[in-house]
Amino acid sequence: MARIEISSLAKVYPGPKPVNALDHVSLDVAEGEFIALLGPSGCGKSTLLNILAGFESKTEGEVRFDGQPVGKAGPDRGVVFQEAALFPWLTVFDNVTFGPRMQGVAKPVYEKIAHDMLALVGLKDFAQAYPSQLSGGMRQRVGIARVLVMKPRALLMDEPFGALDAQTRLSMQELLLEVWQRLKTTVVFVTHDIDEAVLLADRVCIMSARPARIARQIAIDLPRPRSIDDLTTPAFIRYKAEIMQVMRDAHPAKAIAAE
Amino acid sequence: MTHGAHEAVTTSARPSAYGLAAFRGGLHLRKLAAGAVLPLLVILLWQLAGTGGSLFGGVLPTPDRVASAWYTWAFGNRGMGMNPYSGSWFDSVVFSTTRVLQGFAVALLVGIPTGIMIGWNRLVAGAVDPALQMLRPIPITAWLPFAIAVFGISSIGAVFLIALGVFYPVVINTTQGARHVERNLVRAAQMMGASRLDILLRVVIPASLPSIFTGVRIGLGTGWTAVIVAEMIAVKSGLGYVLWDAYYLGRMDVVIADMATIGIMGLLSDQLILMIERYALSWRLVNSNR
Repeated sequence: MARIEISSLAKVYPGPKPVNALDHVSLDVAEGEFIALLGPSGCGKSTLLNILAGFESKTEGEVRFDGQPVGKAGPDRGVVFQEAALFPWLTVFDNVTFGPRMQGVAKPVYEKIAHDMLALVGLKDFAQAYPSQLSGGMRQRVGIARVLVMKPRALLMDEPFGALDAQTRLSMQELLLEVWQRLKTTVVFVTHDIDEAVLLADRVCIMSARPARIARQIAIDLPRPRSIDDLTTPAFIRYKAEIMQVMRDAHPAKAIAAE
Repeated sequence: MTHGAHEAVTTSARPSAYGLAAFRGGLHLRKLAAGAVLPLLVILLWQLAGTGGSLFGGVLPTPDRVASAWYTWAFGNRGMGMNPYSGSWFDSVVFSTTRVLQGFAVALLVGIPTGIMIGWNRLVAGAVDPALQMLRPIPITAWLPFAIAVFGISSIGAVFLIALGVFYPVVINTTQGARHVERNLVRAAQMMGASRLDILLRVVIPASLPSIFTGVRIGLGTGWTAVIVAEMIAVKSGLGYVLWDAYYLGRMDVVIADMATIGIMGLLSDQLILMIERYALSWRLVNSNR
């Protein structure tokens, strides 16, 4: 049984000019699978993620998570936001322990997990710093750590590295690969970066222009564990060329300009 | 794992580099000295212009006369000499300050929760906001007859006016803060299992604090305005009462000493709020070391 089953999901934003964001999208994600939703900005891939997360309602169709229809947002689906969305008035440590505290986890238990997760993302010396003292990449590490402490059954990531500079983005991608290799959580990763999608995912779903459909799904059979050295291998470049061709067909002119 | 190292080099953000209080303190003194130049110059020119001649036909006393009246007002024996206010300065300051504090406390206790609820809950906003917007254009001075009629010549009337004056800026700014909490912060809290009450207490209120402080600082200014107006008319004590009374008695030296007192009290109370704000919002200010 797939962990996430999306069938014929549609989303229309009502208004004087209703906007069709999703046009009957169907997608299954297996337990432990890493999936990338690839498409240019504004194509509706974030809408799909928000419905999965429970932040937005659907118009039509079905979304099941572990066999159950998805309800409101909760700790079983950990969301990593584009700008980290940390609470600026809390220290790194208090941000990371927010989830367990909300769920009534005992202090000694969550303190240990939080320290472990901060070590995992390379921030154990920054536990008492405030988000305003951190760089964008470090903030996003906190954003990942605070989700991992809740041991979510799926990670939903909405262009988490989109706002970072190229070098930081590479190191964050490597970090995520390492974390995923260890925890093997189901991941749905939204991005508009082809390299990022191929490097991270088991399967890349290319979204069409609005109203979004899944134009094509491409399984990435590169061996794991992967690293940023894979970015220049011939196999990698073949996947990239194939995806670019699909995107060109799906988004005439616009998609290539976005890259 | 060594992921932290690469970025830590590029961003000088280190947890040990918090404190720069000492550096700030030095800057503060120099700023203070620079700020004192202009007032001192004005006082000096005023003194020179008044000595030997008369300012505005003798109506305006020179700074030395103001200083000596102020001294008598503060330290003179009660009921002695030509100054009917002799020795009553501290009492007046305490009267006025107490009223401001009382009105302020009422305004914050009512205004902050009201503003949070208007900003956070659409139902409350629909029910309360229109009435507030209708009452707000009525200046507090227009409420004076109402206050006297309802509360009589008493401290309560003054406190009512002050509370009203402070309430509007507090409630409006708090509403703004609570209404514009970043959407993803609320979503993040939901995703981490926070209840609606948790979101209100742990996300909406802290996120609104900067706006609340803006309202409180604006409100403080209105509060001092209100206390002076109220004491001129609706009460028989305090700095506002002395101000008006001294004017009628032709004691312009006391009037000016009174004005200076109000200015100093306003400045001190604003600085006090700034200090509390710096402490409460220290999370926002720590990034100034980058």
